[in-house]
Amino acid sequence: MNTPACSPASLELSLPSELGYEVIARDAVAAFACRLGIPAERIEDLKTVLCEACINAMEHGNSLDPGLRVQIFCRIEAERLVVEVLDQGVSRYTAAPTPLSIGEKVAGQGSARGMGLLLISQLCDEAGFVTRSGPGNCFRFAFHRQPGHCSSGDR
Amino acid sequence: MMLEDELTVSTRECDGVAIIDLSGDVTTFAEEKINNAYHEVTSKGARHVLLNFRQNDYINSAGIAILIGIVTEVTRNEQKLAVSGLSPHFQKIFRMVGLAQYAEIYQDEEEALAAFKRQA
Repeated sequence: MNTPACSPASLELSLPSELGYEVIARDAVAAFACRLGIPAERIEDLKTVLCEACINAMEHGNSLDPGLRVQIFCRIEAERLVVEVLDQGVSRYTAAPTPLSIGEKVAGQGSARGMGLLLISQLCDEAGFVTRSGPGNCFRFAFHRQPGHCSSGDR
Repeated sequence: MMLEDELTVSTRECDGVAIIDLSGDVTTFAEEKINNAYHEVTSKGARHVLLNFRQNDYINSAGIAILIGIVTEVTRNEQKLAVSGLSPHFQKIFRMVGLAQYAEIYQDEEEALAAFKRQA
């Protein structure tokens, strides 16, 4: 698997494709972002976005095969925190072209699932799939850095 | 290995409102517990249902899908649904995905019960 180049302020994690491990990654990445001065409210958004990206990689990319890994690369740039979530690409996946509205879901016109990419798109500043030459999906998202610090009560 | 903060679900009744207390992670693993609790209170004739969260740290899209399923049944059964105890972040998430169109959001149980009483 090709891995992105690392910057000095960076973090790398590797998880099995087993639901629940995204929470471990969430806490590590949140601690990393907190140390970098990302505001507390944005860290809550980051936690949700990271979990949803990991779940997509586990479920859709790696088909929940615990032998396949999900890799997470975080790096800090001058204006933003960039996170890439890579799977080993049993299957390619993309966003549904026209996701169902909640009204359609409540009316039973389709699955109630499928809110992950919607949440991601609304909570972070940049998000999308990155084209790769090799197998696997790479989903990249970013949070712009803003002045401020975590409050001491944040996890 | 179980990495979840396993959800604890319990039910009680207060002032004619069926309260479903939810403590822990609301994820795909929570589906059976939440649905069982909802069906239990509905079978007892509940008209007003309150999902009372405990500032839960983790509600993901699979958990939201379970709640959409509850909204579907509440609509079909002509019940009233409210939620309380969500952290500010998850209040924002609920509004973002549209759940607030189907369930009033209150800060805490007391506020929700007072609102149900006003509507009665």
